[in-house]
Amino acid sequence: MNRINPLYVGLFLLVVLTLSVFELNSAKDELHEAQASYEKAEKLAVELSELKKVYANHKNMQMKLKRILTQNRLKNAGVIALYKKSRAKISAESLEKSTLDFLMSKILNAPFNIDSFEIRKLSKNKVSFKMEIKW
Amino acid sequence: MLTRFNQDKKIIFLDPHTELVVSDEKLHIILSPSLYWVKKVILPLKHAREAKKLLESLFEDVLPEGNYSYSVYKASEEGEFFIFAYEDKSILDLLTKQGISSSNIGSVHFAQSELYNLQGAMKINETQSIYVKDGIVTLVPCCWIQESGMLSIEDTQLSKHKIILTQFGHIVDSSSLIKISAILGLFILLIWVELFILKQDIQKIQAQSSELFIKYKLKPTIFQNKALLKKYTKIHTNQTKLRMNFSKELKKKNIQKISYKNNKLKVIL
Repeated sequence: MNRINPLYVGLFLLVVLTLSVFELNSAKDELHEAQASYEKAEKLAVELSELKKVYANHKNMQMKLKRILTQNRLKNAGVIALYKKSRAKISAESLEKSTLDFLMSKILNAPFNIDSFEIRKLSKNKVSFKMEIKW
Repeated sequence: MLTRFNQDKKIIFLDPHTELVVSDEKLHIILSPSLYWVKKVILPLKHAREAKKLLESLFEDVLPEGNYSYSVYKASEEGEFFIFAYEDKSILDLLTKQGISSSNIGSVHFAQSELYNLQGAMKINETQSIYVKDGIVTLVPCCWIQESGMLSIEDTQLSKHKIILTQFGHIVDSSSLIKISAILGLFILLIWVELFILKQDIQKIQAQSSELFIKYKLKPTIFQNKALLKKYTKIHTNQTKLRMNFSKELKKKNIQKISYKNNKLKVIL
């Protein structure tokens, strides 16, 4: 009777098998959770990265704006730009309508975060212009 | 005396018609011939282990209906073997009836292997005697033979021939249990292999998640990144809306003033 009863061994193995199945199922759940969490994090990372490329690249934004304002049509149009750490202020006391069209088309086609602006009609061909861009 | 101390364990002679007085202690058991079937056979084999496979067939048509276990040992160098058939359950039931728990059983021997050199007949109880006839230890009624006294096992040196009683042998035989256990073991092994692979995959995904943070230069927590995403999504939505509304409003004539503040576009005509 010193030998271990095979039935006890069988029962022990059955218990181990049951516990192993439970462990396997919880590991499968853990894997699914990890996969779902990874996919979610990847989606978030891609979206955030794309948006940051557009709106959080301060230096690039500033360069783009400077390039627009130094174009021939705007160079001597009386447009004043004031650059700060987190924003830029552009204004013009009196601007030709065609110059405004050119300026607005350039600004609106670029991904600037326009905080505010005001365009007021001064005469048939003249307008005043103020704009604040954030970055 | 039907009991004797052998090293640290007591020896008892187990018979269905003999009452035993035992305490909670380890015991060596000698089975009465009434608890097993024995045959002396000559087989062209060298070792007892070779005969094991033949035992069931050697007892075929001899044994009454029942679940038997078999045992064998070599009797002489001339190919003589003693073969045994016994019912584990009936022996275990008798032990329980006598108040002996299976955990107290040290070893179990046949009377054949332990008392084969008995001289004359010995009484084992009021009605039965034990004696050796033609080399076989046999039980006979008392009146058949002249006894020389009560059986004493005090001087018995236990042989190495012993058996192991299987408690559930009558339900499932050991070989089936071993097969089932092997299958269970195989399943467990497969599950553990799968578990190992799964754990590796989980670790890989967790490592990939960490790499994401480095690759996309994310903030340390998902919460911070979600807040950032919310901020930039809001900016993007507002700017798209502004551009759409602005181009729509420009179609109007005689605009005097057009302004945008706090995400609201105002047009004065």
